[in-house]
Amino acid sequence: MDVSAIMIKSAVVIAYAFIGTFIGLLFLGVGRKIVARVHNRVGPPFYQGFIDVAKLLSKKTNISHGWIFDLALLFSISGILLAFAFLPVGGIKLLSTDGDAFLVLYLLAIPALGFALGAGASGNPNAGIGVMRALVMMLSYELPFVITMIALMIYYDTTSIARIVELQSVNGISSWAIFIPPFMLAAAVADMALQGMLMEQPFDIPVAPHEIASGPMVEFGGKYLGTLMLYKAISIVVETTLFVDFFLGGGVIMHGGIVANIANFIVWFVLIFIVFTLSLLINTAFPRFRIEQAFTFYWKYEAILATVALIWVYWMVI
Amino acid sequence: MLDIILAEILVAAIITFFVGRKLAAIIAMAVSILPLIALLDWASLYGFNIIHLGIEKSISIPIAGVSLNLAITPLGWFFALMIIPLFPAIMLFSYSFYKKNDGFYPFMLLALLSSIGIIMAKDMLTFFLFWEMMSWSSFLLVYRSRDKEAVMSYFIFSSLSAFLIFLGILIIYQQNASLLLSSINIESNAYGVVAIISLIAGFAIKSVLMPLHAWAPYVYSKSDEPFVAFLAGGLSKLGYYGMFLILFILAGAKVLETYFTNLSPNYILAVFGALSAFIATLIAFMQDDMRKLLAYSSIGQLGYIAIGFGIGTPLAVSGALFQAFNHAFFKAVLFLAAGAVAYRTGKWKISELGGVGYRMPFTFMATLFAIFTLAAIPITSGFAAKWLLYESAIDAKYIFVAPIMLIAGVGAFLYSFRILYGVFLGENRYPNIKEAPKSMVAAMFILVMPLLIFLIFPGYMLDMMHDALISGNIATLNHNAFVIETSLASYNTIAVIVALMIALIPAILIYKTRKHRVVDFMDNYLAGELPELYDNKISMHAASRFYKPIEEIIGPYFEPGTMSYYMAIYRGLKAISDAVRKIYTGKAGDYAIYVTLFLLIIMGWFIWM
Repeated sequence: MDVSAIMIKSAVVIAYAFIGTFIGLLFLGVGRKIVARVHNRVGPPFYQGFIDVAKLLSKKTNISHGWIFDLALLFSISGILLAFAFLPVGGIKLLSTDGDAFLVLYLLAIPALGFALGAGASGNPNAGIGVMRALVMMLSYELPFVITMIALMIYYDTTSIARIVELQSVNGISSWAIFIPPFMLAAAVADMALQGMLMEQPFDIPVAPHEIASGPMVEFGGKYLGTLMLYKAISIVVETTLFVDFFLGGGVIMHGGIVANIANFIVWFVLIFIVFTLSLLINTAFPRFRIEQAFTFYWKYEAILATVALIWVYWMVI
Repeated sequence: MLDIILAEILVAAIITFFVGRKLAAIIAMAVSILPLIALLDWASLYGFNIIHLGIEKSISIPIAGVSLNLAITPLGWFFALMIIPLFPAIMLFSYSFYKKNDGFYPFMLLALLSSIGIIMAKDMLTFFLFWEMMSWSSFLLVYRSRDKEAVMSYFIFSSLSAFLIFLGILIIYQQNASLLLSSINIESNAYGVVAIISLIAGFAIKSVLMPLHAWAPYVYSKSDEPFVAFLAGGLSKLGYYGMFLILFILAGAKVLETYFTNLSPNYILAVFGALSAFIATLIAFMQDDMRKLLAYSSIGQLGYIAIGFGIGTPLAVSGALFQAFNHAFFKAVLFLAAGAVAYRTGKWKISELGGVGYRMPFTFMATLFAIFTLAAIPITSGFAAKWLLYESAIDAKYIFVAPIMLIAGVGAFLYSFRILYGVFLGENRYPNIKEAPKSMVAAMFILVMPLLIFLIFPGYMLDMMHDALISGNIATLNHNAFVIETSLASYNTIAVIVALMIALIPAILIYKTRKHRVVDFMDNYLAGELPELYDNKISMHAASRFYKPIEEIIGPYFEPGTMSYYMAIYRGLKAISDAVRKIYTGKAGDYAIYVTLFLLIIMGWFIWM
């Protein structure tokens, strides 16, 4: 690959990083609006996310607890942007041909790890408990999620997300994974795993504002909190895109030409919005689980359903 | 030259027995430089021209009527790369770790000598002799702990291992009438299969594969850290060296496949490896003793190598060898860091530690990097290895192994954070300790270096194992220095690194433009109130039974423990022995009656005839 191609690719990735951040912040505000509407409240304006982040990032007092604490700031936003760069977004492959689903799965751990280190270095016991809950949640929802992921990989005989999206868009909407019987089940399982990933109720155990004072975030303020909010915003886009890429063909409905690109982008946007709204509606309908209930839910019921889907797929492939 | 290397280690082992602790450490370190040079020299045989001294490749040492045949093979060279470099670093660490010279250095040198012998053995007899020497020298090092459980379990399991390996070698000798590795041809009949299985079981004991791991938690948690670093990092790989030898170089995998036509025995090895990775990970994060946690983590991480050998495809075996190399270094660093922490604080229990990282930042940094590699954070070499293994499981459609492996990978985050938070972060409980001595810090950073090299160039690692894979009749992967390509996907480190650089820009912008002040913990969440006012009764550190909610669910499933099954076997054997003892009473009168009865029966038989 020559230099100009690399430059163009980098430019596209950077542009998408900005778009992703913008959409994420928009979703934060819109999400609050939707939840408010369900609660029969007026709610904040839809651009509240932008206001919050701008305010926090322009704070003059920033409290730090040393260099390990600062790792949270450095790791969280860079890790999540990195994960975003390795996902195909609305048919644009970005860097997803250079990595695969396992890479994205592990890239998603970088911000979590940085965040955990920062929370640990804050010395606050609530932060420690919060990180413990976050890690246990991670262990819980990853089991059904990886089983469905493996089902997809075995069915399409690839681990590359770009390739999975490509294979799902051969015949337009009808070849999306969600319309294949075992993957209907798998998608339902993965959607509940997504609920845990997004930390929406009933799985908002790690933050749990009323129990452990927002858990890991308890000691973060000013620019640190602003960065974490940016991380949260982008992670909404990354996680919903992961779901859309796996089961909804990445939102690809057309091939070739600039019109197709725009159409795919719009479809992708609508799909991630639908997935996000779905999780918000579940969020408003449920109270919080306890951590052991969440663990049992994922490792018992979800894992069994996911295994059924996996065996079904295996049987179809063999 | 080669005989000089072996002889100087032997002589050094004797000398270090008598000299003082500092001189002993320096001698041991100096002596282990020569094998390192030889290692670099042999690298030219496999396409890496580092230095050229022309150290001979094979040698035959006649001792007491037998000759020990040694030769460097591609596989031996690759395993030597992960055992020999550990040694000087560990000696550097022990330079300030030990207060007196009480037999650590001589046996460590013997362990080094015997591991060089094992990986260079040209015939099974030499292999077995050095294997026994390694077992004995490491047993004497375990014995220094004076812990009954550790010593007994290591002794029993080592004996069992030696017995199984000897059985396998005997059967192979019976079939071939030769012990030379180059002329061994394992026959595909019941005897051949028994030989292969008993050899693999014998090696699995050394490489702590579940359920033969039962000795490891005791030994790893009771012995000295420098030794455990060498045991977990280096000596445990010798078991996998043996497994590679039997399965691929002596084509044991093919023999098993042809013998069991309907059943895939390799799948069973992969399942054992996966269960080992999964169960050990779950047990690891429930431990309170730092060393026990690392022991279970070791069992889990070594399980991945068994998965790779079990799957047996080029992808899987490359991943397994890569994982073996990584594990040698990161686990050595972690055990040494545990030693350094204990050297300063005198505590092993995570619930009693906390905040050590603020006062020991370099130890923390080395640990952090080792843990990044352990938890397979992308762009570390740990990720490349795990990635190859995951790919291979999907490629081979092992639907049982793949999810278990992946979830064990997630579980690794849990126990990693247990160490990072419980020991190094959290409440600042040790405000008055100092950083570990310089030699310890230097040792840890030296061991981190190889991991850093293969972080950027995972392709070089695949180049290094190229000849070893060819010697085991395994195809090599399509790769260059940065990109590994498989039939399923590709992994490009340079793309990840460049993307990371770009993604760091906004973070660094925010980081640089922030005006901040660094504040003590007391100044923030305690609002100036001091726990001392309450006689330190308020716990500020969530470290005791950290994963309590999950422990209460999964804990009961592991309640009896593997050792209890071995104890059941022991009780059974004891009952049988007791029954036998009723006959062999030890009284002369009883034996006289037995003899008389026997004669009477014989006479009766003659009369009846």
